Amino acid sequence: MVPLKLIWRNLLRHKLRVLLTAGSLTVAFFLLCVLQALVVSLDQGVKNASKKRLVVQSAVSLFVNLPISYQGKIETVEGVDETMKMTWFGGYYREPANMFAQFAIDADRMETIYSNVELIEGSWDEFKNTRMSCLVGKETANKYGWSVGDRVPIVGMIYPRLDGSEWQFDIAGIYDAGAEASIDDLTMYFHWDYLEEAMEAGATTGADGIGVYSVLLSDGYSQAGVGAEIDSLFENGPQRVQSTPEGEFNAQFVSMVGNVPFFVGTIGMGVLIAILLATLNTMLMSGREQTRDVGVLKALGFDGSAAFWLLLSQSLILCGFGAGTGIFLALGIEGPLQAVLGSNFPGLQINREVLTPAIILAICVALFAGLAPALRARRLTVIEALREEV
Amino acid sequence: MQESQHGVELIRVSREYTRGGEGVKVFDDVDLSVKPGAFCAMMGPSGSGKSTLLNLVGGLDRPDSGDVIVGDTLLSELGESDLAEWRSENVGFVFQGFNLVPVLTAYENVELPLLLTGLSKAERKEHALHALELVGMGDRAKHRPGQLSGGQEQRVAIARAIASDPGVILADEPTGDLDFESACQVLDLLGRLHTELGKTILMVTHDPRAAERAERVIHLDKGRINESPAAPDDGFREVKPKEGEGA
Ligand SMILES: Nc1ncnc2c1ncn2[C@@H]1O[C@H](COP(=O)(O)OP(=O)(O)OP(=O)(O)O)[C@@H](O)[C@H]1O
Ligand SMILES: [Mg+2]
Repeated sequence: MVPLKLIWRNLLRHKLRVLLTAGSLTVAFFLLCVLQALVVSLDQGVKNASKKRLVVQSAVSLFVNLPISYQGKIETVEGVDETMKMTWFGGYYREPANMFAQFAIDADRMETIYSNVELIEGSWDEFKNTRMSCLVGKETANKYGWSVGDRVPIVGMIYPRLDGSEWQFDIAGIYDAGAEASIDDLTMYFHWDYLEEAMEAGATTGADGIGVYSVLLSDGYSQAGVGAEIDSLFENGPQRVQSTPEGEFNAQFVSMVGNVPFFVGTIGMGVLIAILLATLNTMLMSGREQTRDVGVLKALGFDGSAAFWLLLSQSLILCGFGAGTGIFLALGIEGPLQAVLGSNFPGLQINREVLTPAIILAICVALFAGLAPALRARRLTVIEALREEV
Repeated sequence: MQESQHGVELIRVSREYTRGGEGVKVFDDVDLSVKPGAFCAMMGPSGSGKSTLLNLVGGLDRPDSGDVIVGDTLLSELGESDLAEWRSENVGFVFQGFNLVPVLTAYENVELPLLLTGLSKAERKEHALHALELVGMGDRAKHRPGQLSGGQEQRVAIARAIASDPGVILADEPTGDLDFESACQVLDLLGRLHTELGKTILMVTHDPRAAERAERVIHLDKGRINESPAAPDDGFREVKPKEGEGA
């Protein structure tokens, strides 16, 4: 048993030092929460990806297109329920700064492939039946103030129109990706036929073929099994393919942008180690200063565990206060953060997946910083403690 | 407060410290007996083992061999936590300077040892304030040690030492850091604890004038204990210097 007053007053013995340490903890844990939220957001697309879909790409590279004839062949493989072409269009709206993702797809098959995507405006029928139509994610629609019926001009970079004009698309629907984790609310989908026509008419240049095929499996078939079948189908050319579960395919993009989770993790680790050492330093100094107090307490008959808790509680309070403030700040800034980073990090949230590790880390820091002085206080004899020059 | 019934016996006590691989014998087969309720001063050159002796009696240190008996307790029979508990009930310490907890007020410092007793908050308050009154510091209860003079600090330390009404008071150079007047006040106080409350007091001092206040003066030198020419009825019973070494 140790008097609470003593814990509290010793903690505040050097107000500035404690305040600075708590401040560093606040900044560090705020940062850790935000970084962790970014990683969780990136992982989401990978983790929640459908187990029922495969992505078939060229075995050489994602940037090498596949022949159009492959689609029919893939459909002959047992376990394949539906396939859809997906070709990266690479365009922007009016200015290069307004870059967002567009895919040329099989318009009549998207509803089957992405069964969880919901249209919050417009209709699938309108989309399927109108050659120049497109679907736009709700966030992009919001951003540019688009609604169903609007005609939007898009400049193609991979498929530029040779007369220098812009592509025109009519918005037939605005979608909400909802539970479809591998899709964000930012993308535009339009008819692959429309692109194909323009190419045949010589109105645009650009690579022939199909970027990737999205493959929906029938019930009871595994990604690995069907994937291997498809791969072996094209083993002898003309072009070999690689079938990847959708989750892995998404993970690939995460790593293409410079392996963000690793990068972010490294920064987080650095922040953590720095704060660990700063807190340890503060607690070791406090421990030294309270050596005499520990001696006096023990001489009066307080036992080792009282001395132990005197020091450890200070570390727990310091870290609880500092880290807690940082975590609350992160919670408070969730809204603005989503507004600023939401388009790059869909589903960005300070949720349990962020808070749980943060709280565990805070406790670890408190224990790491507090145990050394606390154990020393427990071990010190009265004679040693009172002899110590402070 | 009750009459103290604590005598102190050291029987063939040896204590050796090793420093840098070399043994330093502080005591070698020493005997000492202090009657219950005696006021005993200890003098001797620096390093002669005065503090070590107090630590042995207070259960802060253990002898390598021999027995330390305080009251009717043989200290070597107690484990660490029992010893700590025994200390809180039976011994009051006054060290040289700075032994108050700086972040606590005078009152809170005196209350500290009472937290280990089963007393209620109201009872603790009564005891602590009574102890502070006794040392003439009742009006400084809310001051922190930093706001007190050295003499006042030492009086608060004495109040803390007697707050839980222990039988033995151990004071290690309690006047060492004090000016003459403050030293006199502290010595008066110790004298009153002895005469009015019947505490057994062991006090280490370098000051012969301080030693005069005691009924009995023990000299420590080179691991031996010698007695001063004693006043009548000085609490002395027996001092047995080591064989072969003249007193
Ligand atoms: N913990 C320890 N470790 C090693 N040596 C010690 C220890 N405590 C005491 N000593 C040695 O034991 C001897 C007696 O020390 P002690 O502190 O009892 O002397 P003292 O009489 O109180 O001296 P002073 O008047 O300077 O306070 C000294 O030689 C000291 O160096
Ligand atoms: Mg000493």
